[in-house]
Amino acid sequence: MISFMEGSPLVKSADEELVSLARSGDHKAFEELVERHKQKAYRIAFDFARDREEAKDLSQEAFLRAYTHLGNFDGRSGFYTWFYRILVNICLDYKRRKQRTSAEEFNESIEHQVEPSQVSQKPPSPDQQVLAGQLSRKVSAALAALPPKQRTAFILKNNQGLSIREIAAMMQTAEGTVKVHLHRAVTALRRSLADFA
Amino acid sequence: MAQDNKATTRACKPFEEDLVLYYYGELGGGERAAVEVHLPGCQSCQLYLKELESILPLTVKPDEPPQAFWDDYSREMRRKLAEASERRSWWQSLAEFLRPWAIPASATAFVALLALTLTFGKRFWSSKEIPQDDVAVVEILPMAENLEFFKTMEVLDAMDLLENIGGPAKGST
Repeated sequence: MISFMEGSPLVKSADEELVSLARSGDHKAFEELVERHKQKAYRIAFDFARDREEAKDLSQEAFLRAYTHLGNFDGRSGFYTWFYRILVNICLDYKRRKQRTSAEEFNESIEHQVEPSQVSQKPPSPDQQVLAGQLSRKVSAALAALPPKQRTAFILKNNQGLSIREIAAMMQTAEGTVKVHLHRAVTALRRSLADFA
Repeated sequence: MAQDNKATTRACKPFEEDLVLYYYGELGGGERAAVEVHLPGCQSCQLYLKELESILPLTVKPDEPPQAFWDDYSREMRRKLAEASERRSWWQSLAEFLRPWAIPASATAFVALLALTLTFGKRFWSSKEIPQDDVAVVEILPMAENLEFFKTMEVLDAMDLLENIGGPAKGST
């Protein structure tokens, strides 16, 4: 489980120190922030895009936007809460754009992104391949069908393991609202994926 | 392939949302205890929880890119940041100028400048205009010059008079 919140004051203060340096023109300090957060950022973007290259572009776009808008960071929340809010918004915008394109084209790209290391040593049988393809398409379609707030709450909880409090801070909403979004998302996904239970 | 609307296990209504939070370990003290007391005696809630445990992990698609991917990522990011930094250098000063505090400050400075200009500039402009009193002087001045002329004329008249007095005497002689 990844913890993004103010659990570690040392990490928080170190991030803020780097932000302060970056604001005064030290772009090396911002590069250090990128190094610290790039993997978490990429994984969140991947959960939304489910495509390696898209996830890379989206997470990099989020870093660039954070860099050019550092002046807007007021320090009331941790850098990562502020940054991941930017990232989630970029991912949601991407999903809106993506919905205009063909779902088939989208799913084909996912299947080609599977890492050899992720595949079991024994080659899957044709039946397993068909089932995996069906599942992948079904999951993508079910996630894409969720309203943006439900999808965000679900991905941040289910895939990233953030706490409800962290998600609420990131989505700038009440914890109770996040719980409602999460419950609705789970209910919709259960209905869509019941065949694979 | 089954349909999307296939009936799924139904949990007891009051526990449904709590079971989702229970699955994610997000239920605190009392609510968690209530679910744990309820679960052993409720088969539908047990099935609901099992269904969550089997379905929800399917939605996670793990992706662990190789090191080369991260090296490329960092390299690309450094390049993009350097480009953004160059662009930033010229528009940052403009953006900073347009920050919220700068606009009222500029407006105040402008109003102050306008007030100073009107206050001190008025004297300057008005000095070029002829004051009301000076208008009278200007009007009187030609008259005064005429007065001198008339005075001169009076002297000449006096001289003519003297000449006239002396003239007939000469003429009479």
